[in-house]
Amino acid sequence: MTVPKNQPSPRALAWRRRGAAFTAGWREFAKQRAGLVGLGLLAVIVLLAILAPVITDREGLDVTKATGDRMESPSWEFLLGTDRPGRSVLLLTLWSARISLTVGFVATLLSVAIGTIIGILAAHYGRWVSAGLMRITDFFLVLPSLVLAIALSTVLERGIGTIILAIGLTSWPSAARLVRAQTLTIEARPYIERARALGGGHFHVISKHVLPAVLPLVFVNTTLAVGSAIVAESTLSFLGLGDPDPMRPSWGSMLRSAWLDSAIIAGAWWYLLPPGIAIGIVVLAFTMCGRALESVLNPRLREG
Amino acid sequence: MPLLELRDLSVRYRNRGVEAVRGVNLTLDAGETLGLAGESGCGKSTLAMSVLRLLPPNADISGEILLDGEDVTTMKWGRLRAVRWTSAAIVFQGAMHALNPVQRVRDQIAEPIELHSKTEYSASALRKRVHELLAQVELPAEKGDSYPHELSGGQKQRVMIAMALACEPRLVIADEPTTALDVIVQAQVLALMSDLVAEKDIGLVMISHDLAVLASTCERLAVMYQGSLVEEGLSAEVITNPQHTHTQTLAAAFPTVGDPGSRYAPATSTTLPDAVPAPGDELLRTSDLHVTFRTRGVTHAVAGVDLSVRRGEIVALVGQSGSGKTTLARTILGLQEPTSGQVTYDGKPVPRSTRGLKAYRRQVQLVLQDPTSALNPRHSVYESIAEGLRIHKVPGDEREHVAAALDAAELRPPQEFMPLLPHQLSGGQRQRVVIAGALALEPKLLVADEPVASLDASVRGEILALLLRLRANLGLAALVITHDLGLAWNIADRVAVMYQGELVEVGPVDEVLNDPKHDYTRSLLAALPTTQPKETDLASG
Repeated sequence: MTVPKNQPSPRALAWRRRGAAFTAGWREFAKQRAGLVGLGLLAVIVLLAILAPVITDREGLDVTKATGDRMESPSWEFLLGTDRPGRSVLLLTLWSARISLTVGFVATLLSVAIGTIIGILAAHYGRWVSAGLMRITDFFLVLPSLVLAIALSTVLERGIGTIILAIGLTSWPSAARLVRAQTLTIEARPYIERARALGGGHFHVISKHVLPAVLPLVFVNTTLAVGSAIVAESTLSFLGLGDPDPMRPSWGSMLRSAWLDSAIIAGAWWYLLPPGIAIGIVVLAFTMCGRALESVLNPRLREG
Repeated sequence: MPLLELRDLSVRYRNRGVEAVRGVNLTLDAGETLGLAGESGCGKSTLAMSVLRLLPPNADISGEILLDGEDVTTMKWGRLRAVRWTSAAIVFQGAMHALNPVQRVRDQIAEPIELHSKTEYSASALRKRVHELLAQVELPAEKGDSYPHELSGGQKQRVMIAMALACEPRLVIADEPTTALDVIVQAQVLALMSDLVAEKDIGLVMISHDLAVLASTCERLAVMYQGSLVEEGLSAEVITNPQHTHTQTLAAAFPTVGDPGSRYAPATSTTLPDAVPAPGDELLRTSDLHVTFRTRGVTHAVAGVDLSVRRGEIVALVGQSGSGKTTLARTILGLQEPTSGQVTYDGKPVPRSTRGLKAYRRQVQLVLQDPTSALNPRHSVYESIAEGLRIHKVPGDEREHVAAALDAAELRPPQEFMPLLPHQLSGGQRQRVVIAGALALEPKLLVADEPVASLDASVRGEILALLLRLRANLGLAALVITHDLGLAWNIADRVAVMYQGELVEVGPVDEVLNDPKHDYTRSLLAALPTTQPKETDLASG
């Protein structure tokens, strides 16, 4: 057998095929207006959060250097008014996005990673491995996650890291169950048997057959989970378990200080609404994106 | 007036473009039986479903479907509902999936009666009617209380037939009613259907890809090919003197066991090896092999099997489903641990350690029943074949190995097939890819589990011929697991008949199939549907 030299290598072909699959997937995604709107919103928010140090001055977060008055109503100088120490609420909301999004993304990655690994291992090895891992999953599933997160944040040092850990460690069980179910259906396919008969070991079966088939599902799950992680972060921060440093605000801690400063009684709606609406918009955007992705990857959900 | 008349019927699926059914004309009178034959995708199921307008909404029907003189295509929704099941009923394909798993079969049989019957049935009258129906399909009344999973395949098929008869329809359409069944059960179901037709004077349209099955139950045969009706006539004539080339292929695909002309000669358009090479020394042996499962009671799946395969020999392992033949194959491959006894390969016991098994699996390769599910849909042909090479880190140029394997499996030119994904291939090509994937590791023995059971009749012969050529050219030994005695007759040197976990008869094919010693082998042979028309009494198992 001679091989023509001009023929692309199978690896290149595989990548080209993936590229084509991605384009086709994108086209399907683009057909869904809600998904596009969600993606657009996210792009704008993430961009603003990343560019916050460029377009604004971090010094404005320092309470000692605050230029505004106490709870000033919106004006041309402060578009969304000021908080109690006199800082711009717009500036706070913008910088909070950085913390909220970071916690949301990292905590979700952590939880999905734990969930995926446990789910795949449980389904692949079966028997006592599965029994053991699933009992651990059940344990975390029945624990009230908020209580566990509060307990964790009180035991560990307060800060972003702790919050990420608390959210990540409490939200993985549903991902694990989902991945396990999907892995079980993949493992029942005859091509897994064929791979075994070819001599493939556990690592081969998992990395070549199971993981690529499970990943799309994991991806959708991640997108949908970021929203709830952001809500969880806000909840914990609102309860006073977040980062105490006023230079690192999050939407949750903004709500907390608005509440502590009796913003409602003072009639300072501009203090309370921006972080709340920001949380709502981000969660909605992630959900719209996630649903659109889901229907791209699972054609059965498509209408018509 | 004929019971069913199709006038220039065409069906087109909007998303596919090609017409699934093209201008078919057919008539059927009450008390008549018509067999509809054809390969998968020829439009025979579409045709059947169109009679009751059960097609998906994206199907466009043109032409007329006259059921008792009334056109189904123009019926109002209410009238159509009334006609469904009372005038015509369908026995769906795959009884395993067409029954509701969480309802007792009694309730499922009663369902159409409750929905359609004009007279109100009281609870006890309904119960009595269900018992009558169960009796008609030769099931005891107690079976009505079972759930589908508690019934065997044949019993489920009977329940399906009882359901179809529930409203005393004048026309019954049976879509592949026996495909998933064993020969013996198949013979029973076919006999039952012929009896019912004769007794109740109903019209029967039976759909199958197996001409022998149709010929043994139906008076007339119609053959479909790519949506058109290519041949129609009396069964005996169509079978013995097929006119259209496609009918000839179908008729030749299933050999008559005992016919010397088809010994070592599966129906194929390619050349077969001239001589049958003499087998060499013993390659694989199982001695007193037992495999026992302990889930829900004790099942002796394999109960003391002694079987040997010599170099370059094709051995057929024949038995009905549940006889333990697949478990035996899995044990030979080391995918299932034996409870006792051992498998020896090349004089040495097969290792149980992970590393030892890996080396062993280079020598012995598996070919699975359904090539569609045996290939990862995300992997290209190249990747599927290279998988084994990568696992074993076979030295040399990977691309050349893959090309050689594709060439050996007769997928030529190899370069064209490499980048394709499984869904771009036909069923036969997919099975060749699976075989090529096994050949890439240059094994000595191929274990093939029902290698052609899910393939079309015309492809069947090609794959079997490929196995014969591989044996002749590469000296490959094969253990072919099958329920199909015709396959054993076509390619095997020796046949081993398995029944309830034990080998009841082992010997050269000519000897065992021409002169069976064991009762079970005899009943298997007797249950084979013959291409003789139905006047000769159908053997029932």
